[in-house]
Amino acid sequence: MPARTYEADVLIIGGGATGSGVMRDLALRGITCLLIDRKDLNAGASGGNHGLLHSGGRYATADAETAAECRREGDILKWLAPECIDDCGGLFVAVEGDDEEFAGAFPEHCRVAGIPCEPLTAAEAREREPDLPEAIMAAYAVPDATIDPFRIVLENVGHAQRLNDSAYLPHTEIEEFEISDGEIRKAVCRDRRSGERVEIRARQFVNASGAWAEKVARLAGCRDVSLLYSKGTLLISNTRVTNGVVNRLRLPDDGDILVPGGTVSLLGTSSVTVEDPDGIAPTIPEVDRILAEGAAMLPVLNETRFVRAFSGVRPLLKAAGSETDGRKANRGFALFDHEDQGLVNFATVAGGKFTTFRLMAEKMGDLIARRLGSAEPCRTAREPLPSGEALRWTEPGAAARDWFRRADPADMILCECEMVARSAVDTIIADAPGAEDHMSLKAIALRSRIGKGACQGAFCSMRVTSYLYDRGVYDSPDGLRLMRDFVKERYKGVRPVLWGAQMPQAELAEILHCGLAGMDLATDADGGDAK
Amino acid sequence: MKRGHRRIETQLAVIGTGIAGFAASIFALKRGLDVAQFGHSGAMAYTTGYLDLLGVHGQRIRQDPWAALDELRRDEPQHPMSKLSNPTIRTAFDGFTDALCDMGIGYTKAGEQNLSGLLPNGVAKPTLSVPKTMLPGIAAREAGARTLVLDFDGLQGFSAKAFEVNFAERWPALKSARLTFPDMENRQVFPEVLARSLENRATQEALAGLIRPLLNGAEYVGVPAILGMHAPDEIRARMEHAIGATLFEIPTIPPAVPGIRLRECFERAFPDMGVKLEPQLKVSNVEFGRSGATLFLHGPMEDLEIEASAVLLATGRFLSGGLKSDQHRLSEPLLDLPILQPDGRQEWFRHEYLDPRGHPINRLGIEVDSAFRPVMPDGDPVNERLFAAGAILAHQDWVRQRSGAGLAIATAYAATEAAAAMLA
Amino acid sequence: MSAHPRGDTLDFLKVAKDLLPAGASYDACVGCGICASGCPASGLHGMDPRRFINMAMLGMNKELSTTPWVWACTQCKRCAYLCPMGIDVSQLVGAARGAWATEDKPSGIVRSCAAQRLDESTSAMGIMSEDFVEIVEETLEEIQENQPRFADLKVPIDKKGAKFVINQNSREPAVEPEEMAPLWKILDYVGADWTYSSKGWAAENFCMFTGDLDAWKEMVETRVDAINALECETWINTECGHSFFTLWQGIEKFGLEANFEAESLVTYYAQWIREGRLPVNSDWNTNNLKFTVQDPCQLVRKSIGDKAADDLRFVVKTLVGEENFIDMQPCRSANYCCGGGGGFLQAGMSKERRAYGKRKFDQIIATEADYVLTPCHNCHSQIDDVGEYFGGAYTVTHLWTLICLSLGILGPDERKYLGPDLADINLPDEE
Repeated sequence: MPARTYEADVLIIGGGATGSGVMRDLALRGITCLLIDRKDLNAGASGGNHGLLHSGGRYATADAETAAECRREGDILKWLAPECIDDCGGLFVAVEGDDEEFAGAFPEHCRVAGIPCEPLTAAEAREREPDLPEAIMAAYAVPDATIDPFRIVLENVGHAQRLNDSAYLPHTEIEEFEISDGEIRKAVCRDRRSGERVEIRARQFVNASGAWAEKVARLAGCRDVSLLYSKGTLLISNTRVTNGVVNRLRLPDDGDILVPGGTVSLLGTSSVTVEDPDGIAPTIPEVDRILAEGAAMLPVLNETRFVRAFSGVRPLLKAAGSETDGRKANRGFALFDHEDQGLVNFATVAGGKFTTFRLMAEKMGDLIARRLGSAEPCRTAREPLPSGEALRWTEPGAAARDWFRRADPADMILCECEMVARSAVDTIIADAPGAEDHMSLKAIALRSRIGKGACQGAFCSMRVTSYLYDRGVYDSPDGLRLMRDFVKERYKGVRPVLWGAQMPQAELAEILHCGLAGMDLATDADGGDAK
Repeated sequence: MKRGHRRIETQLAVIGTGIAGFAASIFALKRGLDVAQFGHSGAMAYTTGYLDLLGVHGQRIRQDPWAALDELRRDEPQHPMSKLSNPTIRTAFDGFTDALCDMGIGYTKAGEQNLSGLLPNGVAKPTLSVPKTMLPGIAAREAGARTLVLDFDGLQGFSAKAFEVNFAERWPALKSARLTFPDMENRQVFPEVLARSLENRATQEALAGLIRPLLNGAEYVGVPAILGMHAPDEIRARMEHAIGATLFEIPTIPPAVPGIRLRECFERAFPDMGVKLEPQLKVSNVEFGRSGATLFLHGPMEDLEIEASAVLLATGRFLSGGLKSDQHRLSEPLLDLPILQPDGRQEWFRHEYLDPRGHPINRLGIEVDSAFRPVMPDGDPVNERLFAAGAILAHQDWVRQRSGAGLAIATAYAATEAAAAMLA
Repeated sequence: MSAHPRGDTLDFLKVAKDLLPAGASYDACVGCGICASGCPASGLHGMDPRRFINMAMLGMNKELSTTPWVWACTQCKRCAYLCPMGIDVSQLVGAARGAWATEDKPSGIVRSCAAQRLDESTSAMGIMSEDFVEIVEETLEEIQENQPRFADLKVPIDKKGAKFVINQNSREPAVEPEEMAPLWKILDYVGADWTYSSKGWAAENFCMFTGDLDAWKEMVETRVDAINALECETWINTECGHSFFTLWQGIEKFGLEANFEAESLVTYYAQWIREGRLPVNSDWNTNNLKFTVQDPCQLVRKSIGDKAADDLRFVVKTLVGEENFIDMQPCRSANYCCGGGGGFLQAGMSKERRAYGKRKFDQIIATEADYVLTPCHNCHSQIDDVGEYFGGAYTVTHLWTLICLSLGILGPDERKYLGPDLADINLPDEE
């Protein structure tokens, strides 16, 4: 099989917030990028977080520098990408039994980091969040907000694609770098779906692969990147529990933050150090611990229906001889130019937070532009992020409201829970990043709310698959395999929250997937014929 | 104004309106028992319409369900069907399908071998008895006959194209096409709505008129299951005549017609057959006395007390409310029957969704003795007047084993027989 | 009708939490769509019951607070009947209706409710108490004069201590007073000790349909007070659906003191036939005309349950002959609402109402019946209307018409709702 070849000014490895941020940053400077990811956008920590746009309050006590950085970057994003952000505000709340001293010192820490912090009485706090318990020791309001991590990454990539010939290739995994004379000549990759070899030539190579940055750097022979992997698990509720973010006012621990995510809420976050960023999944003990802790702050969580749990791996920088506890490790980021490793056209950005992705991208953009001889300055702190028609469907309720407003009776809804209609799926198939290649159920789900409602894909997987066959997007039994892969993947997040109201849902899902679709009898080889 | 109060006396009170519950009422009537049946609409509308006996055993698809049952008795002696002989199971199965035929929904008689029932994705499943409206599709596929499969604008989750593409390799003479159902332009349509509309002869003629020009030599025409709700066999025959090709139905995703057909067929026929049926009402409590049990139900305007000499519990699993769970334990909410279960939910579900061994939780449920009486952990019956049948029973995995109907019918038969013997 | 700009925006998740029992609230929904599949209002204004729940969960409170669909949902509760979790969307629809600004609600419903509040008669057609008494007396005199057999017919009004107090839909006194006669004759035939009440006699309650709980309560209070004052044992609801539901449900919902029992006339028809006091039979049906019957949602599914459906069938089969009775499918508690209820007939949404009624029409056509019997005024009007609109060849009739026909006491002027095939059958003997 001959290799596919590509050429670009810059190859960016890693389709998360940072990689997509670098892509847009460079495209705004007139530099053409090719972005690759071994899976798809936000496959790592960028898609595995709670979507909190930090005010900085969470780090104010332990890490004033990160806290201040969060506050500055949060303000910039609220200003430049308002469509990706719900400026819902947040509370820090100490309940009975929490450390009074810690709580008492909070306003001063916020002041030092420049974070607005308004003390509230218990009654005022409950007015904002009626589900808070009676026994509130202390409560402060901070300017926390939430961000749709999928939308902003899609918008970054979409904007870069519109600016110049920058392009995005999903399912493209780096296998090796061809290096000579202190420069990477090309990246040799594999298309994970077709198995094809893909060769990419570029002048500069950017490693923004998050938790995989150490591995990728090593492929280029660089041994200067050293990461600590901290697994964080979160739970997603069926409906939105609180109006704003609610943080427990204590040293960060499991289950002490509840973040609205549009129409749902996310409860987290645990922190467990793991050896390997691959193959992680939420576990039942993690879920139970998070829920028990969360319910101490918000007892209503005990009666809340959770539809899913998920985990992400925080890539934390490991300074020599430093902490091995992820929660205490530095949340800052670092830029590696790798010049001391003997390479002049390779750089890695690692660590950091979602909230500070733009700043990370700016620093990387400055380095790469300088290396390429460009004098164009960074524009991402000034240039508003425009919104693309095919990119706005990850926002909970967006597809539903759009469909309702247009009131076209011929526009069928494919996903009922989240009310995603054919028209929204059509725009994704036509225009979303990655559409140049081949859209699958999973790719469409990543770019929309499909599969994210209460049924967790039980119905919509079948309805969307049918539609993709109708449209000719699928034309072989492979469509069924992709559907099976999709529900198998969804299940990993569903399993730990299976109790109560999710049990009838799970039973119905199995009746559909096994009884009606025969997924358990199908084998990958024959595409599903039971005989 | 006082809230109404009504007392009903019956010999056997069946709780649950799924296949097991309806089958139990049929068998009880045949036994000459006075029977009353209750329960809120359950999970019946989620069925494909196929009646499975045992399609998978030892993680393999089985052609001969009877031989598979023999193996089941050896490999899974605790399985509810392992308590019954093949002749007993056949008697029960035949009794049920005969009753359905009598009520106007034609089903094939159980044979020696499983059939390969067609599924909407273009796959097939092992099943024992199929609605007569679906039978020709099986033959068409086996013969590789020239066949046209249709779907309809606005009908979600059923793609004739997907059906065609997925069967294409072994059934090249299969083609697909899309139609707009008469008077259903530009709108979402549910299979149920199309089926109701086809009860009207004018719609049958209009649809046949649309199908005819598309035939192009096809001997068979497959449609999603929409051929009427109450007389599907007649409607199919009439439309076949009008089209000039053999017509067959293919199951659809829920809410699907075959299950609604069954439920409405029972609801229609039972009152005339003498079953006191309250399909709207959920039993809120059961109290056992010396000579029987009292069931408590609450209608919108009145409370009902049912005095029954025996009670048959066929309340299904989670979807129909027969079982419940909190974060740590399963429970049976009506009578708080004991459920043997692991400590905590770690072992409820496997890590892989489609693990061919199935999820352990599906095998948790109510333990019964040889007379299908729920038992206490020590093995003694909870009450000599209490019987249980269907999916609520432990040690079975009806979805994965393709044994839903067989389990429901066979255990309903056995439990009813045991109840009749107790009452005699 | 357009979306209204002025009403309150409700928080529907909170409404659901307040109105629906735990375990049967939005959080119990498995998204199966049985409700939507079985709802005749599905698709109107892009809505259906499942979408209502999903939109609530998606926080689309503005859309739910403004969609005109809440006036196309007749609150028939078929969704709750079918739902394995028992989720009752109709209650959320009622709350949504109530939040609309009065001036934006369908004016027909609002006007009818306003008319009901004008006078203690509670008549939606604006008939005052004294007018009602006068109309009844005039109509009675006419019968006494023209129909010798009923020269001594009595129609008591405000007779304290009568066993039964019976209500009366406004349509008859307002536009077709002769249609009151069959019921009077039946009551006379069985020798019932009954009375009308001059206050609160009207058998309609559009205030419930407006979603205005205070107005609903006011209606029920007026009626309950009037019935209490008459000290009758039993209040019998005439051949009407919602007026039954609104009263007993109102008594329960608003915690009113009612010193009487609430029963349906259908129950008594069946009882009187069983007791031999109403010796009807099907001898008159020599042409074997086929009949089907509409189970009013308000009477069967929402109130008495299948017991009412059983009584209804017993009455009809006795009247027309078992072999001439054909049930619609589905029927009884699972029956489809015809689309006449919930104020739909008065809402000025005829396009939507007929689209809704098409399913009922198909059901009726599938029976191939010549007549549809409807013990409910709204069902009667709607089924008649969709029959005409979609070209059905059936006739819609009340039970009292057929009962009197069978008894040979149905006068020639009381055959408005019979087809020509029955115009001359079993006319009373000329004396």
